[in-house]
Amino acid sequence: MHIDRLERYWIIAVTAMLGVFMAALFVSVVVFRVQLPSPVGRVDPRALAETEFATPGLTDLGASRYDMHIVAKMWNFDLGQAKGEPAEVRLPRGAQVTFFVTSEDVTHGFFIEGHDANLMLLPGQIASTTVRFNRPGTYHIICHEYCGPAHANMVAAIIVE
Amino acid sequence: MQAAQPLPQRRVAPLSFPRLAMLASERTLIGAHIITALVALSIGILMGPFQTFRRSPAFMEALPDWKIPVFTYYYQALTIHGVINALFFTTFFIVGFSYFVTQRSLERPMFSRGLAWGAFGMMFVGLSLVLYAIASNQANVLYTFYPSLVAHPTFYIGLVLLIVGTWIVTANIFLTYAQWRADHPGERVPLAVFATLANYVMWCVATIGVAIEVLFMLLPLSLGWITHTDPQMARALFWFFGHPLVYFWLIPAYISWYTMLPRQTGSQLFSEPLARVAFLMLMIFSIPVGAHHLFSDPGVSAAMKGVHTILTFVVAVPSFLTAFNIGAVLERAGRSRGARGPFGWLVRQDWGNPVVAAQLAGMILFIAGGFSGLIHASLTLNIALHNTAWVPGHFHMTLAGAITLTYIAIAYWILPLIRGRALFSRPIALAQIYTWLVGMLIFGHGMGAAGILGVPRRADLAGSGYISPEAATWLNSAAIAGVILLISSVLLFINIIGTLFFSRAPVSEDGPIATGSSDGSPLWFERWGLWLGVMLFLALVAWGPLFAETLDLVNGFNVPGFRPESPVPLR
Ligand code: HEM
Ligand SMILES: [Cu+2]
Ligand SMILES: [Cu+2]
Repeated sequence: MHIDRLERYWIIAVTAMLGVFMAALFVSVVVFRVQLPSPVGRVDPRALAETEFATPGLTDLGASRYDMHIVAKMWNFDLGQAKGEPAEVRLPRGAQVTFFVTSEDVTHGFFIEGHDANLMLLPGQIASTTVRFNRPGTYHIICHEYCGPAHANMVAAIIVE
Repeated sequence: MQAAQPLPQRRVAPLSFPRLAMLASERTLIGAHIITALVALSIGILMGPFQTFRRSPAFMEALPDWKIPVFTYYYQALTIHGVINALFFTTFFIVGFSYFVTQRSLERPMFSRGLAWGAFGMMFVGLSLVLYAIASNQANVLYTFYPSLVAHPTFYIGLVLLIVGTWIVTANIFLTYAQWRADHPGERVPLAVFATLANYVMWCVATIGVAIEVLFMLLPLSLGWITHTDPQMARALFWFFGHPLVYFWLIPAYISWYTMLPRQTGSQLFSEPLARVAFLMLMIFSIPVGAHHLFSDPGVSAAMKGVHTILTFVVAVPSFLTAFNIGAVLERAGRSRGARGPFGWLVRQDWGNPVVAAQLAGMILFIAGGFSGLIHASLTLNIALHNTAWVPGHFHMTLAGAITLTYIAIAYWILPLIRGRALFSRPIALAQIYTWLVGMLIFGHGMGAAGILGVPRRADLAGSGYISPEAATWLNSAAIAGVILLISSVLLFINIIGTLFFSRAPVSEDGPIATGSSDGSPLWFERWGLWLGVMLFLALVAWGPLFAETLDLVNGFNVPGFRPESPVPLR
């Protein structure tokens, strides 16, 4: 099978370019430690009351580290806020928070504005990611997967002080 | 061309097709598919501009109570838009086009007209059932229908009928090919048919995933035969199918670029063997990459995500091969039109011929759309972009841009053949194409920019409180694109209706089909059984571990179903 000389150069150039892209990816994973969600466990969405998700909210681990449990449900995020209170959590600047999030009913999403946090929330699965909040401001947690009529109102906020 | 023939070993005389016309039997069969596709498109497409309006802060401030006409619930309209455009318009169009390409290139009728009409009937009933389910507000689950959302059973039955219909189409095309092969031992099948065969092989492997999902998980759940499901498993099965699905749409557009555009521009394909390599690669590597849709999923390991990312870069190679090959076609075309200098040919194209212009406009969009795809296929950047407006920005330049425009190019010559009359209006066609190009560029850019700022996709933003003024600007620009695209859609349908009912002039553009093949590609390229084996092997390697880590019969399958309207579980 004959391959034209120019076309051969093109194939080499393109392969090299894709190789560079892949190397960049490798660097971002190995050097900059960009992490992707990986399985941390399952829960029974019908019996969240018997699990670590019984009382959602922030746990202070000391040294600016926190765990945060969140339950997504149609159509709000339960961060442990009292009834009638807005879904908000206040954090000191520099806080490093490991989120553990699950859904009680259907598929939801979890996206924090301005930070590398992007999770699918599936009932039955615990999703987890760690985020450091260095800049003061208000960052929305947005549900980014369709979950019913009030999906676009399903939002919470992180206030970094 | 009559009813089914038994697999004959005798030589059939090549069927001679008329010039500038269709055989009556061709016209009915292909006409039924293409016209159903275009009617479906007209329903689906209209929702698009309305969605951009609901998502535009400026628009909703001006008309606070404005709702999408008829389908007032935003997500009902969005389900129509996704399901009808992405699943039904495409499939009907592709099947009709495949029949045309197969019959004309092989110069013989389909193996069985009965099978062809049977498949059409199934797909048509499928379309009707799905439309019923969505229109009656019982299937507001979007085109990905992720459980634990549950739709009415007719929705899933409709999807099953669509898919089983395409399996019958595959059988029919392969049986036709087998007959041709018996008459032409040692010959290479024409490129267009080669690509068609590759497409259906890929499709049959891919649809296994969604068929298992719908038949064993969703339909029984919706009927109440089972009470629980596993959303992570469903998503894995769906995206086993979901990535090849996009190539199922793309390959017919490539068939037009590789085998028809050279004739339409008076040029010649640069390298037919490498075209075949590109199609084989698309087919084979479409399977082990689908987990790039699952980067944010909690139940899939980072290792599997890494494997699928690497293979995703491999599957970009055939599109780069295409860029070279088609670039060379256009260079020859440009030079023969008098282009000078190294880049003059980029400008000296046949921009005034709708059939060519639509494809060129599609290619312009494909360059932008393709690169945006490479960007969010990178797992690290995907974290910033997954499920944001960036993603629809990307696939409106590829699917709704390059692919749909190429299908429109095909419609602009195939509808006249079906009707036996020339295209109603070339100026309207040109206006339609260029408004579409400009509209999709503005739309893609606006959605992309909004996505980078964190605006989610699939959201009725009219009711949301989290849009920043900066993001609002880009959403407003997407709504302006929506107006332009609305105009473009109306122009498209004027031309379709005009061609079908009001055109008087005789047909002037023939079906650009090549029979025979003279390239030097090895014959083993046509060992479909071998490729099938390779694909199943890759599926096993790339998906086996993923399904293994997802499947948990003890602790999984514990999620009840929900209707989107209510947080109370179904059973
Ligand atoms: C007339 C031009 C079009 C406009 C203005 C338009 C607009 C839109 C918008 C704004 C969305 C996102 C809605 C959201 O995420 O909330 C969307 C989604 C979508 N569009 Fe289009 N669209 C057009 C044409 C098309 C065409 C021709 C196709 C396919 C052939 C298509 C396929 C899709 C698909 C598959 C989705 C995703 C639906 C989902 O997320 O469930 N669109 N469109
Ligand atoms: Cu939601
Ligand atoms: Cu994909």
